[in-house]
Amino acid sequence: MTQIAAQRYTGTSVKRSEDPRILAGRGRYVADIKLPGMLHAAFVRSPLAHGRVLAVDVSAARAVPGVVAVLTGADLEEMTIPGQDPLLAMMGGGGPVAEYTLLATDKVRFVGDPVALVVAESRYLAEDGCELVEVDYEDLPPVANAAVALDAGSPPLFANLGDNIIGPHKRSEFGDVAGTFAGADRVVEFHIDVHRHQNVPMEGRGCVASYDADSGTMTVHAATQSVHVTRMGVATRLGIDRGKVRVLAGDIGGSFGLKIGASREELAVAAAARAVGRPVKWVEDRSENLTASGHAREESFDVRAAVSDDGDLLGLDVRMVIDTGAYPVMGTMVPGIIEAMLPGPYKLAALGFESTAVATNKASYVAYRGPWASETFVRERVLDLLAKDFGLDPLEIRLRNVAPRTDPPFAMVTGRPLVGVTTRESLERVAQLVDLPAFRRRQAEERARGRYLGIGLATFIEAAPGPRSAEGSGGPMGMEYMRLRLADDGVVTLFTGQMPHGQSHQTTLAQIAADEFGVPFEQVRVVFGDSNVVPFGLTGGSRSATMTGGVTLHGARQLKAKVLDFAALLMEASPLDLEITDGQVLVRGDPDSAIPVREVARQAASGRFDADADTNLEVEASFDGGEGGWSGGSHCAIVEVDVETGLVKVERYVAAEDCGALINPAVVEGQIRGGIAQGIGAVLLERSAYDQDGNYQSATFMDYLLPTACDIPRIEIEHLETVPLDADVNFRGVGEGGMIVAPPTLVNAIEDALAPFGVRIYEQHLPPARIVELIAEAQAG
Amino acid sequence: MVDFSLRVNGATHTSSVEARTTLSDFLRDDLDLTGTHVGCEHGVCGACTVIVDGRAVRSCLMLAVQAAGSEVTTVEGLAPDGALGTLQQAMADSHSFQCGFCTPGFIMQATAFLSARPDASEQEIREALSGNICRCTGYQSIIDGVLLAAQRAKG
Amino acid sequence: MKLPYVEYEAPATVAEAVDLLAAHQDEASVLAGGQSLIPLLALRLARPSVLIDINGVGELSGVSAADGWVAVGAMTREYVAEESAAVAEAVPLLAAALPLIGHEAIRSRGTIGGSLAHADPAAELPAVALALGAEFVVRSQSGDRVIPAAEWFEGYLATSRQPDEILVEVRFPAAGPGTGATFQEIARRHGDFAIVGLAASLTFADGAISDARLAFSGAGDVPVRAAGAEEFLVGERPSAELFEEAARRATADLDPPADLHGSSEYRKKIAATLVRRGLQAATDNAYGRQ
Repeated sequence: MTQIAAQRYTGTSVKRSEDPRILAGRGRYVADIKLPGMLHAAFVRSPLAHGRVLAVDVSAARAVPGVVAVLTGADLEEMTIPGQDPLLAMMGGGGPVAEYTLLATDKVRFVGDPVALVVAESRYLAEDGCELVEVDYEDLPPVANAAVALDAGSPPLFANLGDNIIGPHKRSEFGDVAGTFAGADRVVEFHIDVHRHQNVPMEGRGCVASYDADSGTMTVHAATQSVHVTRMGVATRLGIDRGKVRVLAGDIGGSFGLKIGASREELAVAAAARAVGRPVKWVEDRSENLTASGHAREESFDVRAAVSDDGDLLGLDVRMVIDTGAYPVMGTMVPGIIEAMLPGPYKLAALGFESTAVATNKASYVAYRGPWASETFVRERVLDLLAKDFGLDPLEIRLRNVAPRTDPPFAMVTGRPLVGVTTRESLERVAQLVDLPAFRRRQAEERARGRYLGIGLATFIEAAPGPRSAEGSGGPMGMEYMRLRLADDGVVTLFTGQMPHGQSHQTTLAQIAADEFGVPFEQVRVVFGDSNVVPFGLTGGSRSATMTGGVTLHGARQLKAKVLDFAALLMEASPLDLEITDGQVLVRGDPDSAIPVREVARQAASGRFDADADTNLEVEASFDGGEGGWSGGSHCAIVEVDVETGLVKVERYVAAEDCGALINPAVVEGQIRGGIAQGIGAVLLERSAYDQDGNYQSATFMDYLLPTACDIPRIEIEHLETVPLDADVNFRGVGEGGMIVAPPTLVNAIEDALAPFGVRIYEQHLPPARIVELIAEAQAG
Repeated sequence: MVDFSLRVNGATHTSSVEARTTLSDFLRDDLDLTGTHVGCEHGVCGACTVIVDGRAVRSCLMLAVQAAGSEVTTVEGLAPDGALGTLQQAMADSHSFQCGFCTPGFIMQATAFLSARPDASEQEIREALSGNICRCTGYQSIIDGVLLAAQRAKG
Repeated sequence: MKLPYVEYEAPATVAEAVDLLAAHQDEASVLAGGQSLIPLLALRLARPSVLIDINGVGELSGVSAADGWVAVGAMTREYVAEESAAVAEAVPLLAAALPLIGHEAIRSRGTIGGSLAHADPAAELPAVALALGAEFVVRSQSGDRVIPAAEWFEGYLATSRQPDEILVEVRFPAAGPGTGATFQEIARRHGDFAIVGLAASLTFADGAISDARLAFSGAGDVPVRAAGAEEFLVGERPSAELFEEAARRATADLDPPADLHGSSEYRKKIAATLVRRGLQAATDNAYGRQ
């Protein structure tokens, strides 16, 4: 499939080079960093959802022995340059821009909003100091949810905006919406809610910032998905030339979209480090992480579906409201992606889509693994609900509506072509794997015994990175860069802007380079996490398999060509006659001619050669994604619902997935299973809950529940392989797919289990109490 | 300040700390044993698990001074000369982990469990590890690593 | 979430601990296993001036059986009680509940006395103690006092222990022959606090129930004993209909709290389910034991 020079490592589950240090406890996370003279930061945070800050008295806090500095929001405004959140600035959201200070000065806008920063000799003392900061608040009525925010009379969070509608209502139409709905046999309406939940990496946010006054250099040890985006954020906010900001990152304990750019707290810590002249460390604790780091997915959808009597889904008209919380980060960008993706791999002929984004007194809406995932939830729920109305099997209705594989490829009504999408194949395969007819028989037998089993199917595609677009690649995510060097010690060294936080790039990229260049896996080193040294890059969006895998492949070829040109001089041969195999350069067919790559590198570095010889064995490669492509798959879950208690057991979970060629199957499967676990967690356990006064209720792990080893079954994964789209690079991303499709898969299964009660489900969060309630409501109504 | 003495990974340490210092913070900050991670500080996630006097405990729920006179083993103590032990090697072979933050806690909990229950079934292993949270893997690869280690330990 | 500053005392004997409590009264918190107290300190919800760490008081640990009672020293670790043959043999309800307490690492440190003195109504041991009519032995400078379980639990995280008293021992009555016990829970995940839990114990004689004990966790500010249902069951022969009626009686007057994990109505409903399932399990265990 992929024309790799020597397919020795690529495609196999090579053991991770990260693991020796990780398993021995020698990982280096931000919290592990100790610098001489380092101080520790803690934040004073608002206990109110909405309020004016009348006064901040830090005198008692400053007097605590061991407290070195206390900085208020006002202090930080004097030390920094006002501006947008760095991620928002990079992605270019559009729409009205809320104006607010780095830490709260005049207003607090959510419970946990940072108001002041205490810097002390230990985190213990910093927290002691925080307790002594006295803030005088004036309560304001909370804008506790989207309904309140939509009311033009609700107290505006931001004085410069006038109201709380920060992503003004806009509508787009694709295809003939009016005609499709007018001509449809039936129009069915649904209201679907997706609940607020959040990333919860095991490591929270944090950084160590250190400013060297002599050189004017700010160094930030960060936990980030991109050292360069963080660098931009710090440089801009602190008014430091970008060249004098260095961002370093080592091991990162997960992120799932949370740690991109620089949060308000991290920027405040950097400013504080500069102000106090000593390194400052901030590691958020779990209570901060759950309350203040940001939440995701709180969206609601009014859906109208135009359908034929035979079950053809002809058109959708969707009205979406997204609750972006208090400080706009990227929530306003999500509706646009949802709109583009809503048709999915189906023949949908018409789509009307309108959205409104509102600000509320809750934590900010941040990116969470597949931020647009609700499009799959809504569409796959709608298909199941329609299937019930029409008496069709969930597999049947999907096969009926799936887009055909045509040449030229069928395009979604919103524009993107479904190149190489194998939805039909994955649906049929997953149905085969679970033996759908046999399950239905078993289901019927168990129902007769009073046990309620259900089966759910769902399918998805994700742009990983997506097909080549007509306009060419654009934006910071459209091109991938890598510097490749044959180091003096003969190690093929890859400098990448990727910032792995669980993706195993240290291993996967080395696999590709080793194969393409011709050295053993151990003779490749991947360098990341230093903005002084790596090109621009960002890990996210399920793009690295294609983009970074591709730039590695092509870059390794370019480096090899350069090395062979130089080796040709050494070996007095034509470069065309040379090859590199297993770390040796040799004349093809003449094993006695072999010279170790290490020796070639040593010679190049020796200075012996005159200026004509290109001894700088380094290339700068870039890759635009090639033909790109979709990843996708179909998942199936079998559940049992205890109808007396509402507890759900996931008995079996099967995925037939298609991400093209696999670099490392174990890594691919780990990503898929991890995403599925988050999806299961979202449905059965996880909710970022606020009460009607805007008080946050899920601030510890006793209330924000994560799935454990007893909650996630063995997940069976089968890999399909598409027809190759690109001559060379057919790896596609899988980072987000599991999390995108697992929630509808599971909800579909639960609804199927409860079919005898007539239950219909229009929401994503189904804790046991809710399931019992749904059954009672269905039986009553 | 409270004076106390304990053994960590076979070495005796004598120290003086505020009583409120947790064992997890003492290990990480005072002894520079940063392999033990802090994930929640309220005893739910298990990332801070260490072995004290033969039992797996949550080091965030112990004061350092409570370990006076005790034998503490952290993840660093399992492979002191750098070579991975049976469990760690089995986990490497099983691609057990991704970001690695939960890893030391799982390793210590599994180490304690397997030494008491070398013949445990998969379900028993899942229950024993259900007090350790992983956000990356969905657990299957971790369970596979533990099962492989148990199998290899039997020879 | 770092602990606030506290003074620290580590008495070596009960007498020393008692003297410290007399001196500090409610400015002190007794630190036993720490699995409940340390999180409260980390969240800065508990603010004692002094921690009296009784982990060094060896005389407070141990399980002994005598005269139809099993005495468990307050500092007995939960895992020790779990492994105790005396507990398994004589207090099957306690044996049934112990493995459900949190996770192994929690039980490595948590203590029987600590859990019962903390008195979280969602925890397993308070329901067990109440169901069995356990006795709590507290000591102060004035001497020892024995408090029956029915008088121990006063309110949410509140017991009748006075600030100058320390819990030294909890005594559980030994189960008679023909007893089957179970602890049933509905929890969100394995090892979590139950949304509602049920301690249930039935003793049979000649095929009829001669003694019935039922107490809920998670159904109020304190564990709740279903005395009416217990009375109803005594003298009856087990049947699904009997258990159904017992469930109705046990839950009719329940007024459980509502929280993120369930409404009051939901808790009441599953409490009834637990009674039906628990009585069946207790019956099965009684017959298994014979």
